[in-house]
Amino acid sequence: MAVLTSTPPRRRTRKADDGVMTVGRSRIGNLVANAAGLIFAIVMFFPVYWVLITSFKPQTEWSSFTPTFVPHAPTLDNFTSAFNAPLFKQSLINGILVTAMAVIAALIVGFLGALAVARFRFYGRRAIILVVLAVQLIPFISLLIPIFLMLQSWHAVGNTLIGVTLVYTVLILPYTVWMLRGFIAGIPRELDEAAMIDGCTRGQVFWRIVLPLTGPGLVATSVYGFIQAWNEFMIINTLNDPEHQNLMAWLMQNQTSRGTYWGPLMAGAIITSIPVVIFFLAVQRNIASGLTAGAVKG
Amino acid sequence: MTRHKRRRRRGGDDVVIPWLLSGPALVLLALLLAYPVGRMLVLSFQKLGLKELWTGAAAPFVGVDNYVTVLSDSVFWSVVTRTVLFTAVSVVLSVLIGLGVALLMRRVSRTVRLLMIIAMMFVWALPALVQAQIFKMMTDSDVGVINYLIDKLPGVEFQNHSWFFTPVQGWIVITSCVVWAGIPFLAITLNAGLTQVPKELMEAATVDGANAWQGFKNITVPILKPLLVIVTTLSVIWNFGLFTQNWVMRDGKPEPEFQTLATYSYVQAFSQNKYGLGSAIAMITVLILLGAMAVYIRQMFKIGEVD
Repeated sequence: MAVLTSTPPRRRTRKADDGVMTVGRSRIGNLVANAAGLIFAIVMFFPVYWVLITSFKPQTEWSSFTPTFVPHAPTLDNFTSAFNAPLFKQSLINGILVTAMAVIAALIVGFLGALAVARFRFYGRRAIILVVLAVQLIPFISLLIPIFLMLQSWHAVGNTLIGVTLVYTVLILPYTVWMLRGFIAGIPRELDEAAMIDGCTRGQVFWRIVLPLTGPGLVATSVYGFIQAWNEFMIINTLNDPEHQNLMAWLMQNQTSRGTYWGPLMAGAIITSIPVVIFFLAVQRNIASGLTAGAVKG
Repeated sequence: MTRHKRRRRRGGDDVVIPWLLSGPALVLLALLLAYPVGRMLVLSFQKLGLKELWTGAAAPFVGVDNYVTVLSDSVFWSVVTRTVLFTAVSVVLSVLIGLGVALLMRRVSRTVRLLMIIAMMFVWALPALVQAQIFKMMTDSDVGVINYLIDKLPGVEFQNHSWFFTPVQGWIVITSCVVWAGIPFLAITLNAGLTQVPKELMEAATVDGANAWQGFKNITVPILKPLLVIVTTLSVIWNFGLFTQNWVMRDGKPEPEFQTLATYSYVQAFSQNKYGLGSAIAMITVLILLGAMAVYIRQMFKIGEVD
């Protein structure tokens, strides 16, 4: 599969033979390296640990001048107060709706586009690929001004979840096309041709061969789209009023209005991050390689 | 050659079907990307303020006035300098550290490597907004754990230290956050690249008497180069567009010393209601980025052509 080329194939190896050099390595050097690796892991993880324990600390503890490194009296109060905060549930539902609709739309539209550039050789194919790659690199935030004016003048979609969904769909569409293109290109063309010789029409080849075989690719791509749409807050924050926000924008607004309530804020941050973290861990292999596909062999 | 053969064999429908298939995607991209880009270009030559926005009156064209205003403003140039400086520092730091960590990962035991990967995965998975909020909390002048820890050092007085009082210290916090958040992608991608460096080659070099640095310089770097180019370009593009981190850490109201091109354009448009001026700044930002983009697109296009 083209998308996965920079990830090495998983193979069973003996303990001593996992691609690590054995020649010219001293014992003391190994010890130093392991210690450095361990320290690195601890330093990297510390901020994550800190947000986790802060969310379980009662107010007296997180607002104390002397921080505690293990919560003395763990509590769920921060989570309940985040849940009961104004507009939290509304923002949660809005975020889920907008993200789900955008991902589904991008997946359908993107799959068709990916099918075209991966399975057909036609005049304009290179141009489409170039467009898809180029728009991916336009900082979306710089387009916020015209998009804001545009959605304002279309009264039907201004300040609605539909309007933001449209914007998010386009936000994740280029990557969706690019990644699915890789997955479809990875399906041997001979399969299509064999099926057509056996009497399948183009449509049947699509339903019976290409679509099922792209399944894992569709999952990975939609998860990536989910993460992007879920994490976005600036667009929705600018386009919509407080009733039509997502959780990220809610977090940001909460910070500005009562910036020192770190306990509930961190609880909100954790609730907001959970879906992203779970999905991310599920597909991280594809994300790293998808972004840099084939670079090493390139 | 194969391309011509195939086209001849399948006939004319190879032109219509692919365009039909990619049609919806192209329409959406045109509607919400191409049109806004065009609109932004036009806007950058117009004067659009609150009055035009409320009354719906046509925005008057002012020629290159917006660009003249922007380019002759010393504030704009200090924002550009700051953005470039931040990008350079943060990209160099994150690529160097990322490469160092990737190399370290090849050296440590399996358990330690697993721990390193787990720690990095959690950092990588956190939304940028949350990453920034964690750093904001940890450097808080009252309850911040960083102040507490530094204060513990002998002879250092750091209680109630305000990190954002001076821009240099504030930028140290922002840069730390960006580098911390960027390391996982760089280290894990580069580590994946390193596994493709044939171990036999390195071992042979070691047996022949090459030291670690020579092996790194003459074997590892050349093989890793295409990947290094891509991850560096990506980091430049991402960090140059810095928005979330300084936006969050300055409570959505960055002071002049904490503005970058992205926040500056946003503030001009949406806080000052100078949409034409904001568009001109955004146009200039995109133009500056085009250089970095070209490198990336060329590399990606080569890959896209292969299969």
